[in-house]
Amino acid sequence: MEILEILQYEWAIRALIASSMVGVMCGILGVFIVLRNMSLIGDALSHAILPGVVFGFVVAGYSVMGFFTGAVIAGLISAVGITWIQQNVKTKNDAAIGIVFTAMFSIGVMAISRISRQDGVHLDLHDFLFGNVLGVSNEDLYLTGFVMVYVIASVIVFYRYLFATTFQSVIAETMGISVQTVHYYLMLLLSFAVVAALKTVGVILVVAMLITPASTALLFSDRLQNVIIIAGFVGLFSAILGLILAIQLETTPGPAMAVTATLFYIIAVFFSPKRGLVFKKWHQFQAKRKIELEDTLKQALKLHEKNNLSLNTLSKRLGFSAKKTTAYLNKLHQKSLVNFTAKKLIITGKGTEQATKLVRAHRLWETYLVEQVGLSSEQIHEDAERFEHILTDELVDEVEQKLGYPEVDPHGSPIPKKQQKRAFKLSEIGKNQIATIDEKQADEHVSAALWKLGLMPTSKIFILSFKNGQMKIKQQGKVVDVSMNLAEKVCVTRYSE
Amino acid sequence: MKNIIDIKGFSFSYDRKMVLTNIYLEVEEGKIYGVIGPNGAGKSTLFKAILGLIDINVGTITVKGGHIKKHRKEVVYVPQKSDIDWQFPATVFDVVLMGRYPHKGIFQRLNASDRAMADQALADMGISHLKNRQIGELSGGQQQRVFLARSLCQEAEIYLLDEPFVGIDVTTEEKIISMLKKLPLEGKTILVIHHDLSTVREYFDKIIMINQRLIAHGDIETTFTEENIGKAYGGQLTILHKTGEI
Repeated sequence: MEILEILQYEWAIRALIASSMVGVMCGILGVFIVLRNMSLIGDALSHAILPGVVFGFVVAGYSVMGFFTGAVIAGLISAVGITWIQQNVKTKNDAAIGIVFTAMFSIGVMAISRISRQDGVHLDLHDFLFGNVLGVSNEDLYLTGFVMVYVIASVIVFYRYLFATTFQSVIAETMGISVQTVHYYLMLLLSFAVVAALKTVGVILVVAMLITPASTALLFSDRLQNVIIIAGFVGLFSAILGLILAIQLETTPGPAMAVTATLFYIIAVFFSPKRGLVFKKWHQFQAKRKIELEDTLKQALKLHEKNNLSLNTLSKRLGFSAKKTTAYLNKLHQKSLVNFTAKKLIITGKGTEQATKLVRAHRLWETYLVEQVGLSSEQIHEDAERFEHILTDELVDEVEQKLGYPEVDPHGSPIPKKQQKRAFKLSEIGKNQIATIDEKQADEHVSAALWKLGLMPTSKIFILSFKNGQMKIKQQGKVVDVSMNLAEKVCVTRYSE
Repeated sequence: MKNIIDIKGFSFSYDRKMVLTNIYLEVEEGKIYGVIGPNGAGKSTLFKAILGLIDINVGTITVKGGHIKKHRKEVVYVPQKSDIDWQFPATVFDVVLMGRYPHKGIFQRLNASDRAMADQALADMGISHLKNRQIGELSGGQQQRVFLARSLCQEAEIYLLDEPFVGIDVTTEEKIISMLKKLPLEGKTILVIHHDLSTVREYFDKIIMINQRLIAHGDIETTFTEENIGKAYGGQLTILHKTGEI
């Protein structure tokens, strides 16, 4: 049948509305069920309401309210029973759940088969197990609508309580939130949702509508509010598409909804932007390219230091084809880390700085592995090759601090120091070192004295020697003597290497 | 000096084993306390008892002269980091905002001033830039800063911190201790379960030493003595010698 044609029928519209509402509320509630590791409880509760439904039928006959009341009572009895066993008996948690729900379910099945043999009783076990969404009555719809509004309102009003108890129950308790009460309230909501879902998907598959859309949503967002909204929509679409699919294929709607929900889940597993496998592969590919690019830069520096940098030597050293090396060099050129002048390949100042950072991370990590992890110096190179690309600047600094600022790595190669601007007094600068005179000095006497000597602020100076309380320094080709008395007062900055 | 926590004759057993026996302890307002003792000494149990998380079998514990239930808002707890689901869909900001929960009635919503306080707490701990990160994406030190920011946000009077310096970097440890040391100046009381004996003198005003019973408590100078440490740690003393503390 065509979709539009189907929607001419009242039963089809009722089925569509009922499924949508069940999809939304199960999706929303499911988020908490999944996050609290209670998937099994969700399954248990849906099975355990069966004797309640039969009991409701015996008392009130074929009435929606009778089913509802009986089911909720059975659900709560099971929840209390499970929790009681878990807290007071030395039975494993999941075993306690299994014991209670199979017992309740069995009682329900026995009661149904006993009652349905009586004359004039129509109570079909199959409907309870897999739902009968095409037989939804108006009464069923009102009940489902009421339950959905109640569930959504509860989640909104008690959001903070649900968040706190789900995330850190101990903290919730110290804040005066009764974790126990929230737990039972959630069980109550769960019983409500399960009863409402009975007609659409049946007891066996309710758990699919609870955990599958919620798990899908959890792959999409890092914020609980968003996860809840997404789960509601995924539940909604699973229910609607599942129903349409079932009518088209002339099969049972409940399982069709569960299958649709699973399809959404599979799509999310592969394509969710943050956690999807496809994106992970893409990120891995990107990471590999970044590593190779950084390696190209690093090896370029090493060859440059040996005065042997060319496309040929570089590609040989990296083990890349000339074409691949050229491609990476072009990338580095775009970032102005290397330059081609007069057909000669050179590494720029910025490039040297970045490559030195890599060498520094590499050697510090090697030192860390030997000194703190206790590996031998033969085992460490490969690991450091990987980590030099991953470690953040802060981490590298932290490693250096932890190691007590080592000078050389385990292979005896010097570890480059962090490029850092630091304030010094002129007298603290060593021989053959470079510093810059600060614009702002301690007082005007110092400034005046420097001016007299012809030493201009912000200009670079080079320390030649210390002799007899005098410092010989060179500035712009001119040699000047500075007394140590003055040097102790002059503020300078220098890039420590 | 006012006593803010008063413990009288408190004993606790679990699975028929005595965890804490006959503890009498008065905690003074506006001081920073170190709580030390070997593993299994009952330090965390003491905290849980003060917080009302476990049923008290014997004795009484009062907070500000009354039952803890009347003073929930004023007591904040920072548990050990280990028992948290780091995959949980919560951002740093969501977690810090939890500090405002105890100040809200059931039907009250969080408002702009609550959010502003959370922002301030993030700034105080130097993690404003991490505001929208999922909590599992942070380093150990950053995670601990988040929980401290949450405790600041709660504006409590009493802070109970269980091993806040475990598994974090040096910078974060310095940041946390400097923040904690400021709180007594505002009249707040801090209790810290701590295991690094070498920093005890530097970090705390007072010390509580327990090993299933109260060994000693009082000012660092008079209480944190070789003799008391020996009593608290008993057979584990040899390990302590290696730390160079005694």
